[in-house]
Amino acid sequence: MTTLLEHSRIALSSLRANWFRAALTALGVVIGVASLVAVTAVSAGAQKEVADSIRRLGGNIVNVDGEFITIGTRQSASDRTITPEDVAAISQLPTVTAVSPHQSIESITVAAGRNQANTWLEGVTSAYSDVQNQQAARGRLITDADVSFGRSVMVVGLDAQDRLFPGQSAIGKTVRVGSREFEVVGVQARRGSLADENLDNRIFIPLPILTRVMLGGSNIVHVDLRVESEGDIEPTIGAIEDLLREQHKLPESYPDDFSAEDQATIVKEAQRATSTFRVLTFSLGGIALLVGGIGIMNMMLVSVHERFREIGIRKSVGATPWKVQMQFLIEALFLSVLGGAAGVLAGLGATRLISTFAGWETLVSGLSLVLAFSVSFAVGIFFGYYPARRAARLDPIAALRYE
Amino acid sequence: MSYDAGPGVIELADVTKVFRSGEVSVEALRGVSFAVEAKEFVAIMGPSGSGKTTLLGILGCLDRPTSGSYRLVGQEMSTLDETKRARIRGQRIGFVFQAYNLIPRTTAYKNVELPLVYAGVPGGERRGRVLQALASVGLAERVGHLPNQLSGGEQQRVGIARALVVEPSVILADEPTGNLDSASAEEVLSILGRLNEEGATIVMVTHSSEVAEHASRIVRFADGLVVADERTQRSIVAEPLGAVG
Repeated sequence: MTTLLEHSRIALSSLRANWFRAALTALGVVIGVASLVAVTAVSAGAQKEVADSIRRLGGNIVNVDGEFITIGTRQSASDRTITPEDVAAISQLPTVTAVSPHQSIESITVAAGRNQANTWLEGVTSAYSDVQNQQAARGRLITDADVSFGRSVMVVGLDAQDRLFPGQSAIGKTVRVGSREFEVVGVQARRGSLADENLDNRIFIPLPILTRVMLGGSNIVHVDLRVESEGDIEPTIGAIEDLLREQHKLPESYPDDFSAEDQATIVKEAQRATSTFRVLTFSLGGIALLVGGIGIMNMMLVSVHERFREIGIRKSVGATPWKVQMQFLIEALFLSVLGGAAGVLAGLGATRLISTFAGWETLVSGLSLVLAFSVSFAVGIFFGYYPARRAARLDPIAALRYE
Repeated sequence: MSYDAGPGVIELADVTKVFRSGEVSVEALRGVSFAVEAKEFVAIMGPSGSGKTTLLGILGCLDRPTSGSYRLVGQEMSTLDETKRARIRGQRIGFVFQAYNLIPRTTAYKNVELPLVYAGVPGGERRGRVLQALASVGLAERVGHLPNQLSGGEQQRVGIARALVVEPSVILADEPTGNLDSASAEEVLSILGRLNEEGATIVMVTHSSEVAEHASRIVRFADGLVVADERTQRSIVAEPLGAVG
């Protein structure tokens, strides 16, 4: 252990003598480790976001979507395959505890006085709040009575409220959609975002007004339903597929004209789109580390070459090949580990910048820091080994004579 | 300081050394046999190319003979691997080089301490031994100096302190005065002489007969063979202790 300490001192003093070169060499490792730390934090943040979304949206949800029916060349938003009868039949299934049919216009400009806003219009029933975990911040949500009497009422999301009624409460005010006017009866409590969709920039009206009055049909696009437990999800999807094929009288050889999926799966799929970017950044971090490692190897080879004579002297006063190897390996390790430590700090800084400016959720775990640090350690060992071995195998006589 | 006092510190029997480079092979040593007793001060002389430097490499366990036997304090060296030879170098042999060979940017103290570090001498014990070795070459005041802050003579004295700090069985000096002015050379030689009187066994390679006169015995080399082996005046009448430092 005494010699380990001695070697560390020797290594440090040698690095100090060439500190600028050492700093440049370590830069590759700094960049590599920093990007690994930042990317890990971003992707851990994204995973946490998925988990949060699933929890916020409520568990054990199945999404059934109807596909388009094309009649001639004309196609409208309500030309879908799910009928009100299908919805009724689905609600009869024994494992299903709540059914929320809904229809949306994903981009529509609405107005309140002189203010306009582009929002997402959703036609819902009273079951929506239950299945989608929707709550009222103020006022009330869409009720059964709103749906059966076809009342022109509206619930707005917080961001939609801010745009239409800056700095005011929307309750009791009027919002125009096309030529129709709706009275705002409630404000939705904050729901955050799902993947790239802002769930707070939405407005909600009774489903029949959207389908029958505005779109002119009765078929709908989405049916979300809640089942008793996670174990019920798969059997329920199977039962719905059988049920809808029968309802739609599809021959054996025809494909489904609808889809039925676990909502958690859909959320994860949505997140996967952004993960390509992360894989890319992660590989860039890896490449930076590789280049950094090669830099360390190069500097160590130069260092060994410059110190042929010193190596010879050390050997003449009793340094065994192993001890010479240790000395140079420790020097390489110092470079990479100091680079790794700086990289962890830079990575933490980059993570903070990302969450501040890009608005991404990030999560720095102790494990990822330990991992990044270990990687820099491994880089030091791997790329320091060959130069150290060369030093260790030098012929002492030739080394002593070297000018 | 105490030195290994057993008889027959160095025993060479029919040592040869052949250097091969491609097709060409050079016989640097062609069957060398001689012995060095404890407390001897032997000068090895010969023109360049006579094999004396090759011999010193073998004596210092920096190199192995091609054939023949080399025993250091009774132990066969010619068959040891590099790791074992490194340990022998660190513990039984003290080198003094023509070019001093101090480690640059490293204090006199650290340079002298180095063999003790490699020999695994505990830190607490090292300090006393390093200071004593530096004092015995008259450099007690220079422990914190870097090599480039010392004169040639002083650097060589640090080199001698480094050689004797491990209390080696033999001190091997390769042209120790070759780079020094005559005053510094005289000083270095008188230190070696005094160490010898205190019991150190010394083998010194030189081409200068003036320098060789400081030894008690001169072994002459030519063409890889011992051609003469004689006692000097000094072996009969010991010189008085030279003033040092």
